[in-house]
Amino acid sequence: MEANGKQGQEGSPELSLRPLDLSDIDDFMVWATDDKVSRFCSWDTFNSKEAGIDYIKNIIIPHPWFKAICLNNKAIGAISVSANNGNDRCRGELGYLLASKYWGKGIATRAVKMVASTIFNEQPHLERLEALVDVENGGSQRVLEKVGFHREGVLRKFFIQKGRCRDVVIYSLLSTDPQP
Amino acid sequence: MDSGTVTLRPFRVSDVDDFILWAGDDQVTRNIRWKTITSKEEALTFIKEVCIPHPWRRSICIDDRSIGFVSVYRWSGNEICKADIAYGIAAKYWGQGITTKAVKMAVSEVFKDFPDLVRLQAFAAVENKASQRVLEKAGFTKEGLLRKYTFLKGQLKDLVIYSFLSTDITVAVDDKLL
Repeated sequence: MEANGKQGQEGSPELSLRPLDLSDIDDFMVWATDDKVSRFCSWDTFNSKEAGIDYIKNIIIPHPWFKAICLNNKAIGAISVSANNGNDRCRGELGYLLASKYWGKGIATRAVKMVASTIFNEQPHLERLEALVDVENGGSQRVLEKVGFHREGVLRKFFIQKGRCRDVVIYSLLSTDPQP
Repeated sequence: MDSGTVTLRPFRVSDVDDFILWAGDDQVTRNIRWKTITSKEEALTFIKEVCIPHPWRRSICIDDRSIGFVSVYRWSGNEICKADIAYGIAAKYWGQGITTKAVKMAVSEVFKDFPDLVRLQAFAAVENKASQRVLEKAGFTKEGLLRKYTFLKGQLKDLVIYSFLSTDITVAVDDKLL
């Protein structure tokens, strides 16, 4: 499923979301080998193309909802919504990353807005889109706030990442909230 | 008011008759995932197959008679630092500070039983003010309101989330909460 972003200003490049595949491997490796990008992610910086290929094959391609964030069809990041089962099927967790050279231009905000404005129609059982952001990741917190997510609180020592227990800010957007 | 000695201990098959009094009450099971018990056979099965083998479940007792439960569920993988606590007691014992006492005892015991546990968390339905007061009096920190977080008995619930960290223990002892 493809979604095309609005052009922010005249002449700004076209932002789109599409499935990521093996042909994106070189673009994938650009962010996957960048410590700045992996810093707040659950995965460790990749050190071989083989590891990247394995990850795309075994984790990304089978994922229920995972898209490449593309600028003029070139993958510069990724965005995903995870599914839950049973009593928790009403909520999905949003995750996203962007190659660091594209930070600070509002691209992540645009990508999150695109997902937030279509995901509830795509997945009618979804009532709540949530995101957990490290307390030190101010950039990502600002993305969610700009899109209109509600900041619900800080969950102390909520999970282990890179060997340490982290405090995270939890955000949510409901299907009944004003759509971004 | 002297409410008798409140203690925590593992469940016993012999608790069955006392167990039905509270586990068979919709009021008690309303905000937990347990289905209301409807027969002695069901109660026996549940005690034998669920309560007794449970990694951490205790009967809340007054004078060694079961009036409720406290359970702790540990997470795994990259969430092994945390555990969920849940509890319920017979309606006739509500509003007397008994649940608060039991939860305080459970918190103390759990951090001793699981020395690597960092975070104990609890969820209370937004309308369940009594349960929220229990957690606050027991020294939990209110972290926020999670909107439309989960289905409980077919209803989509807003839940208040609370936590008690292993590092909060020293504070609680200093403040004489524990």
